Amino acid sequence: MIRFDIDSLHEIRETLGRNRSRTLLTGFGVFWGVFMMLVLMGGGQGLKALLTQTLEGFATNSGYLVPNSTSKAYKGFARSRQWSLTTDDMEKLRLSIPEIDIMTANTRIRATAVYEDKKYYCDGKGVYPEYIYMEPPVIKYGRYINEVDMRQERKVCVIGERVYKTLFPEGGDPCGRFIEMNGIYYRIVGLNVSNGNVGVNGWTPNSVVIPMTVLQKTYNRGNTVDMICMTAKPGCKIKEILRKARTILAKEHTFDPEDKKALFEVNAEEMFSIVDKLFKGVNLLIWLVGFGTLLAAAIGVSNIMMVTVKERTTEIGIRRAIGATPKMILSQILFESAILTLLAGLLGIVFSVLTLSMADIVTAATGTEGVQFQVNFGTAVLMAAMLAALGMLAGLPPALRAMNIKPVDAMRDE
Amino acid sequence: MLIELKDLNKTYDNGQPLHVLKGINLSIDRGEFVSIMGASGSGKSTLLNILGMLDNYDCGEYRLAGRLIKDLSEKTAADYRNRMIGFIFQSYNLIGFKTAVENVELPLFYRGTGRKERHRKAMEYLERLGLKDWAAHYPNEMSGGQRQRVAIARALITKPEIILADEPTGALDSKTSVEIMSLLKELNASENMTVIVVTHESGVANETNKIIHIKDGVIGEIEDNSAHASSPFGADGVMK
Repeated sequence: MIRFDIDSLHEIRETLGRNRSRTLLTGFGVFWGVFMMLVLMGGGQGLKALLTQTLEGFATNSGYLVPNSTSKAYKGFARSRQWSLTTDDMEKLRLSIPEIDIMTANTRIRATAVYEDKKYYCDGKGVYPEYIYMEPPVIKYGRYINEVDMRQERKVCVIGERVYKTLFPEGGDPCGRFIEMNGIYYRIVGLNVSNGNVGVNGWTPNSVVIPMTVLQKTYNRGNTVDMICMTAKPGCKIKEILRKARTILAKEHTFDPEDKKALFEVNAEEMFSIVDKLFKGVNLLIWLVGFGTLLAAAIGVSNIMMVTVKERTTEIGIRRAIGATPKMILSQILFESAILTLLAGLLGIVFSVLTLSMADIVTAATGTEGVQFQVNFGTAVLMAAMLAALGMLAGLPPALRAMNIKPVDAMRDE
Repeated sequence: MLIELKDLNKTYDNGQPLHVLKGINLSIDRGEFVSIMGASGSGKSTLLNILGMLDNYDCGEYRLAGRLIKDLSEKTAADYRNRMIGFIFQSYNLIGFKTAVENVELPLFYRGTGRKERHRKAMEYLERLGLKDWAAHYPNEMSGGQRQRVAIARALITKPEIILADEPTGALDSKTSVEIMSLLKELNASENMTVIVVTHESGVANETNKIIHIKDGVIGEIEDNSAHASSPFGADGVMK
């Protein structure tokens, strides 16, 4: 028979209000614990969203190969020898490694794009149509490079957002206009507004993309490419593909298969998993720290309630003498503790929500969309429930102690 | 008989056993105004605690209104105390952060009476004790006599079988002591309330109709004092 009604509430308000500064200080511990926990949780979530956005438009199961000068002498060749990847290599890799899903390449040149009186220092980027699987374009106007462009070696280009904004400040559809890049005119066929912060061999908004065959011919690149890009078939590991590719390329270009420097590789899958693990770790840490702080606060509440009970021995004795049952005393102390914890905690929730809202407003103001720092409603409700439970738990030892106060003890204390 | 004690024994065991009550036999009828007198250490407070169900006894029998009071659970004891006994203490034992009327309401709160009813009754009792204007005051804003009257109102509000007063005038000056004692006397006379006063002051005991002397844990002389002439200081006098 634990009753809880408006009278009990009144009693609790009275006793908590009696020693206001102590109540406030105790409550502050809980407030701070909740505040920290929620702000950390929201912050972690927001940061993760920010980073994920940064990696947007980037195939996560991809691998990249870039040739470099050799660092070991091998089969009569001296070290520091330059070599290049070629389209033949691509063909060979495709035929010998069945795990490869998509294989494409890119080559970059430093270039100046000119339209009428406006200039922009950009990256000229030669690609294949399949390149869309590596860095998915967000086409606002027109289209991407296609198979026909490749075959007919058309002088067409897809421009990035920055290039577009500089060359066409008035906006509008740029398709059909001609821009000049390093002495050759290209017809714009598309506008790519993809805004990911990761660029493979040049940042997308900064790029003027042309067909690989055109780049190789017009800029004297023969059949070489800067970088081979691959994605793995579902269930296959990029790591395995890269290992096989290294063996094949080492044989083809006569460099030491053990020479790590001769062939630079990037395993995006591994990078992403590192980021993922990092955030899992950060989350765990947040929970540990947050929960630890909260637990410390609850112990603080327990401690203070213990002192309060000790102080109130006489009062509790009087209550017992005039007819309070032990259970009534128990529930009073228990609810006192729970309400103190819950109130302070709710305040913490409110303040952390305000803080996170501010973070949301700031990130929105800097033009980042879709990043949410705010914790969701369910988390807040869960938190409140946890607080009530924690408060009860914190109140239990002092309440049991209060329950065991005999009225005679109280009389004797005087 | 309202109260019947048969061969009541109580031993405290704190390190070495202390035999406080050594076979108390006592009966008190309804409507009596009795004082229990004895020096400190005589066992009178222990006896009062047992009568008030605040403490247990080891062997013997205690019947209150025909009910055997022995080895009660905490809950039952609390319930009996609430319904049958009104306590008045030497140090008033009011709750400091509650107003007079809230203090008086408290026993009814534990009985589960509704708020309005509680308040109405408490005001009624305060009025009877002449404290209506002090209802919203806190104990520390009142004089000792006023506080004790609040405590009496609190004891009366549950309409108990007996009033147990432990040195009710112990903290009061002689004038207020007289007032409080005559209040108790009047309660006894007009409402036939059974009042048991524990005291070591013969002047206080002299106000009661029967004086039970207790010494070294046994009942000594039981004095009929309806003439109020036992005190060497004479009738209606309170020794201070």
